[in-house]
Order: sequence, then structure tokens, then C-alpha cells
Amino acid sequence: MKKSIEVRFLALGIALLGIAAFFTLHPRGRLFLSPQNLSNLSIELAVTAVLALGMLLVLLPGMIDLSVGSGVGMLGGLAAVLIVKPDFIWPGMPGWPPALALLATLLLAMAIWALMGALISRWRIPAFIITLGGLLIFKGLHWAIIHNATIPVAVGGQENIYSLLTTYYLPEWASYVLGGVVALGIGVSRVRARRLRRAHGLPVDEAQTAFLGTFIGLQALLLLIVVLNLYKGVPLALVILGVVAWATQVITQHTSFGRYLYAIGGNEDAAVLSGINVNAVVICAYVALGAIVAVAGFMQTAYGGYSTTTVGNLMELDAIAACVIGGTSLKGGRGTVLGVLFGALIMATLLNGMTLLAVTPELKTIARGTVLVLAVWMDVWLSHRYGAGGGSR
Amino acid sequence: MSGPVPLLHVQHLSKHFAGVAALEHVGFDLRAGEVHALCGENGAGKSTLIKVLSGVWPHGTYAGTVTLAGREVRFRSTADAARAGIAAIHQELALVPDMTVAENIYLGAEPRTWGGTINWNKVYADTEGLLREYGIAVDSGARVGELGVGQQQLVEIVKALSKRSRILLLDEPTAALTDSDVETLLGIVQHLRSRGITCVYISHKLGEVFRVADRITVLRDGRSIVTVASAGSTRQDVIRHMVGREITDFFPRVRSAPGPVLMELSGVSVADPRSGRMVLRDVSCNIRAGEVLGIGGLMGAGRTELLLHLFGAFGRRVAGTVTLAGVPYQPHTPADAMARGVALVSEDRKRYGLVLDQSVSFNLSLASLRQVARAGLINDAAEYQRNQAMVTTLGVKTAGMDSVVAALSGGNQQKVVLGKTLLCAPGVVLLDEPTRGIDVGAKVEVYELVNRLTAAGKAVVLVSSEMPELLGMSDRIMMLSAGRVGGCFTHAEATPERLLTAAMAFHRGFPKDTPHEEKH
Repeated sequence: MKKSIEVRFLALGIALLGIAAFFTLHPRGRLFLSPQNLSNLSIELAVTAVLALGMLLVLLPGMIDLSVGSGVGMLGGLAAVLIVKPDFIWPGMPGWPPALALLATLLLAMAIWALMGALISRWRIPAFIITLGGLLIFKGLHWAIIHNATIPVAVGGQENIYSLLTTYYLPEWASYVLGGVVALGIGVSRVRARRLRRAHGLPVDEAQTAFLGTFIGLQALLLLIVVLNLYKGVPLALVILGVVAWATQVITQHTSFGRYLYAIGGNEDAAVLSGINVNAVVICAYVALGAIVAVAGFMQTAYGGYSTTTVGNLMELDAIAACVIGGTSLKGGRGTVLGVLFGALIMATLLNGMTLLAVTPELKTIARGTVLVLAVWMDVWLSHRYGAGGGSR
Repeated sequence: MSGPVPLLHVQHLSKHFAGVAALEHVGFDLRAGEVHALCGENGAGKSTLIKVLSGVWPHGTYAGTVTLAGREVRFRSTADAARAGIAAIHQELALVPDMTVAENIYLGAEPRTWGGTINWNKVYADTEGLLREYGIAVDSGARVGELGVGQQQLVEIVKALSKRSRILLLDEPTAALTDSDVETLLGIVQHLRSRGITCVYISHKLGEVFRVADRITVLRDGRSIVTVASAGSTRQDVIRHMVGREITDFFPRVRSAPGPVLMELSGVSVADPRSGRMVLRDVSCNIRAGEVLGIGGLMGAGRTELLLHLFGAFGRRVAGTVTLAGVPYQPHTPADAMARGVALVSEDRKRYGLVLDQSVSFNLSLASLRQVARAGLINDAAEYQRNQAMVTTLGVKTAGMDSVVAALSGGNQQKVVLGKTLLCAPGVVLLDEPTRGIDVGAKVEVYELVNRLTAAGKAVVLVSSEMPELLGMSDRIMMLSAGRVGGCFTHAEATPERLLTAAMAFHRGFPKDTPHEEKH
């Protein structure tokens, strides 16, 4: 099992390097590695990855959500309308304070996803069908909410908390402080986990390997901060991704709820007979996903600056692709946060590079599909070759 | 010997599963046109023999020879066996519920028109012909899913006959049938014999066996014990042959004085919520602290259903009460049951017990994470410590707690399942076939664990199909028979003959005019 994970990450690393090299060496892609583009890429990655991490929560127990792309559009649109065009909702209603609009939309999203989760688990309607319905309904609602218009996220080119989601950059000093704190946190938790494992006779990597691995990771983090500071600094969106990724990691690996997600996807019958309330767990997973969809919706809409009818298009497929590329099983029970981040990085890099090369939308769509098919094929091939891979840790 | 020439002749047939002998030097012969019954306890090797004869276990996976009409046959698949005219009808029916009777019968062998499309007229005409020929009253256009189990069984038989089978192997065909369906089936078997079809008939129900069989072969512990003509022998003879074994003392049961009654069932009747069929009727018994209550019975007697019901995982209680420590007990989910201190080790560990892709530690913790988590956050140190202690106690042989559980041997997987249950600190432990498919050494370790549990004052309910295990490990034994209590015995009273007789007490199935069944 270990082997299949290693092979997968090796393959992903090579694929990522290949994609990056292609874009860099392409005559029109000189700007690919420029600080400005990498800054943009990091924001695009943040949106895709946040959404994919939410998707992971429902893929683990063997469910799926096809409605997140439409949800991104609808929720982003709703928040924008509440702030900028409140008449669209209720004639004569004054514009909402941005923070309140975001919070209300977030809570609404959690309620909607709770309902979908309940329909799926309590009433045993396949997740595929419920969320396919959601895809269409949310798309229609999105268009209705924004009256098929283009709604900015802030009134008249001003800044507000909504627009700042993707336009705020940490000051240089703050980015280094944050980097230092993160590095310290990672280092301490690694050492503690290692000590704990050894105390209970569990195998640990060799000290040198473990140190080197952590060290290289932290170097990469430092490099990233330095490069981003060459442009405007570390984007707030990337910090949001960091928080969501950390939270998802804790939830999936260190909580009972996370264990239950893996158990339900791995063997639902065994989960039930272990006294797990499967319905409640599934509903909670959908509620968490709903909150994440709202956050991704705000970020994606803010990144464009406007809510338009096309915001969120096909993002559900990017999210699913990122999960699958990262080794998440669509049958449930298998998948890791790190894998999903890797998968999202590949998807975001691909899309960013193609935009940079001014690839036509039709070709872009074909490329996305091809990558998805290749990823699933690799997943099946690796599973055959090395057995079912990738446990909860 | 001047008797009829055997159509099928089996010599020195041996088959092992992971070192455990399922069949050893079995000899068996089948005369053309006879109905030949195979009898034996669960695990005697009847189904394995059927699977060899029907090509489920291909040639090369067993030792010995099978001769058909004078020539040795080496089936590589069930298709080979079907071509040679041998068809098996297993307990699990292989029909597509959404297709009609005729579509099912010709599935995979559809007659074609000259254009290559299916000749539906011929499919239905031929089906009607077959149904008439063998006197089977089923509508060829009916959807199979809408037929009763008995009629589905008949469809399976017709499907086999459509392939011009000469030998039909029927594996417990009446286990799930009602009385009238049994009558129909027995009539059909007799009719088939008159048409020259040879049948091998496996059944626990000796009454049926003596009605239809010409000869009876008894298997025990994978060996063929005797073949008798049914006309010249009695039920008692057959039971004696089925049981007759020395029970060796590899059951280290330590008996102690039983404590107070922990759980008490009175008049419990349970219906399967999906089919509405009554699965358990009027079951009464009590379970004491520090005692092992053994539950035996034939396949389909309702043993597993009883345990699952007590665990909140099966059935609707139609009548009766259960008390646990004197307080009414009616769990609706396994979580309810566990909250009251009842734990279950299920019969099929791969299907119901383990998340195979995950680690030993993951599986051990699954049912008892609450003990090591605060506000949902798991304390890794506490979890490791507790699980490591359990691995040591149970002697689970594994490379480490984070090894994938699928990589463990059956016995060690079973210990993980037991460990998962024990970590819940239950007061009543329900064990469903806890030693199925594990080797002798691991079995003894499981028995010793049972001793530890009862010594600690827990009540253990042990469901087992293995007579020696039941006799060796139980303080009291309740035999279930067709969902009813066939008899209760103390350890001293229990003999194999008595248990088997009790297991067959209600084997004719439920009386047809019982109040509950028809009304729901």
C-alpha cells in the first residue's frame, strides 16, 4: 500500500514538472514562472483546492457532489447581489453590510447542503441524482438571482471584505512571521508524532529521511513566500487555503468524524455494526462541504470581480478531478489531503498555463477532460498493480 | 457386483482450503435415473462436493478422480460441467429479477433469427414446451422478481433442463420454501426421475430425504461415511452416522457458577421488515452473567437473525419482551445496543466486521473512539496505548498496528474483530460463528478469550454450526429450529443426537395458517 502511494506521488511530481516545463519552454509561455503569474496561479490554486478539499469530505464516505460548481456561482452571486443590488431580492431593501452578506450566504449554503445530505442518507436517494438536480437548480437560481446581469462584488469599484478575498496581499513582514509560525508548527508536530509512534513501537522513517523531507518542504515554503513577495506578497486566498487544508487534515486524520468517513466508504455494513450513525455522519460531511462551497464561491467570484452567468462553470469537475488525480477513490474509503492538494495543483497549473498561452476554450475543455481520464486510468492501473492503496494515513 | 452401472463415479476426492481438509478421500457413485441424497452436518463437505462436481472448483484444485459414464472428466469451469450435462442449483439463485421467466431461461443462449436478432417467439415457445414437458406451472411471461422463492427455484431447474442436463445437483432446494412449495418441488423431483433425470439432493430435512431419495450418502468431517438405500434404513440410523464422532478435548472451557440473569427474552417473535416473513417465533431464554449460552440450529434456523435482532440490526419485533439487567431492552440501532453494553461479533468478518483497506489500529478503534476522543478530537497517545495493549492481550500476529488488516491471516483478522468488540467493554457479548474459517490454534485462542470474558462476569452468547464447539464451549445450549426453540439443554444433558433431533424439531416449516405471517 505504501508503495502505491509513493509511485503515485512520483508520477504526479513528474507530471507536474512536465506540465510546468512545457509551459515555461513554450515561446508564448515565458511569463509562466514570473512572480505575477505565480501569484495568480496561487489564487487560482486556492479556489480549486479549497473546493476539492470539500469534495474529499463527501468522496471519502462514497458519495459525490456534482452541484458544487453551480453552488459556487449561485452563492457568490447571492452575496454580491445582497451587497450591491439588494432590489433584485426585495424591492427597496438597503444594501447589506458585506460581512453580514457573506455570513448569511455561508449559513444558507450549510442549510441547503444539510438538506441534500439528508435526502441522500436518510432517504437513500443516490448522491449522484440529488446533486445532479442541485446542479441544475442552483444554476437556474444563480441566473435568477443576478437577473442574468453582471454584478460586481463591491459598489462602484470600491474595496470591501468580499473583494479583498482575492485582492489582499499580506505585507512582507507578516508573510515571514506567518511562514515562521507555520514552519515551527509543522516541525514541532512532526517531532511529537514521531516520538509518539516510536514510544508505541510503530515504525518511523529514518531520522535523516524524516528531517530531509520536512526540511525540503519548509524550504519550498520559504521559496514560495520569497517569490510571492517579489510581486505583491502572499495572497490572502492562499492563507485561506492553508487554513482549510489544515482544518481538513485535522478533521480527516484526528477526529472520530474523520475516521467514520473512511469507515463508511471502506465498508458501510461494518460501520453500521460498529455503532456509527451513518446518516448523521453523511449529513455533517455535506454541511461542511456546503460551507466550503460558499467560501470557494466568494473567492471565485471575487477573483473575477463580478458575478456573471458563467462563474463556477465546470468547477465540480475540476474538484472531482483534483481528488481523483490525488488518489481519492470514487468508491470511497481512500484519499488524503496532501494528495488532493497535489491534484488541485496539477489542475490549476494546467488551466493557468493554457490561459497564458491563450488556448481556445474548446481546447481547454478537451484538455481538462483528457487529464481527468488519464488520472482515473492511472488510479485503476496503480490499484491493479500494487493493490488497493492509500489508507487514512 | 451386478447392480446398475454408475453414471457418475467419484474416487478418493480430496479438497483442502488453506490446509484445512474440506473433503478427504470421498467416494461417491450416482446411478442413472436415481435421486441420491447427501446428508451431513454443516461443514461436512456436502456443498464442496457439489462444487467440485459442477466445476466451480476446477480440475487441479482437488485430488482424486471424477468419472462420468465411464470416462474421466476434468472440468475447468461450470460451463464445462454444463456441456457434460451436469447443472447445479445453488441456494443463492442466479436469476435476473427484472427479466421474465423465458428471458431468464434462455439468458446467454438466446435462439437467433437469420438476421441475428433474438428470436423471441422461439424463446417463449420453447419455454412453454419445457414447462409442459416437466409439468411445471409457471407463467413464461411473468417477471421473475414477482414470483415466490419456490417458483424461482423451479425456474432455475427448468433453466438447467433447457441445457439438456442429465444430472441435477440440488443444494438445499427447500431451505427457504413454504410447505406447499416443498410439496410442489418434491413432486417435480419425482417427475424428473420418471423422465430419466438423475438428481443429487442435499437437504437437512430428513423427512424429505426419505420421501424422494433412492439412496442416501452420509458425509461427516469431509469423509464419506456410508451409502444406504433409503428403503432399508431409518432416520435414527442416518442421524447416528451424521453425528458419530469422538469429541476430542480441545475445548478448554473453564466452567464457573453462573451469576444472575443479565438478559431475558420472553416470547420474542421477529419479522423480516422487507418480506414480512416471520423469522423468529416465540423465543424465550435467559442469559446469565459468567455463562456461555450456545445457540445451534440448521442453516436458516434464525440464529444469526436472533443475534442481529438483539443487537438492533435486524427485524421488527412483533411480540414478546426482552429485558437487560431487569430494564426493558429494545435497541433500534447497533448504537443503541452498544450504549446498553451489548456487543456483536458478526459471522462474516470481511463483510460486516472489518474495513479491509484500513489498519489494525483503525479497525480496533472503530467502535470505541469515544473512549479516546475528547470533543471528537482523538488523543493519539491514548489510542495507541490502548490498542497496543489489546494487540498484546489477544496475541494478534501483525507487523504493527498500522499494517493493513487485509494482509493478516483469517485467525488474526478475527482477533482484530474480537478486539474491536472487547474495547467497547460490553456486558453481553454476542458471538456469531467466531471460529469460522480459522485454524485450530487460533480457535483455541478464541475459546480462551471466551473463558476470560465469562471469568470477568460477562455473558456470552455463542452461535455455532459446529457441534463439537457448541458442546465443548457452552454451559447451556438452545437449539433453534425454523425460528422456534427446538430444545434447551444444560451442558450435562446435551448429546449430539439430542441436539440434532431438537434442531429438526420444526423442520417442516411453519404451519400455513399462523396468524402473523399473512397479515403483514
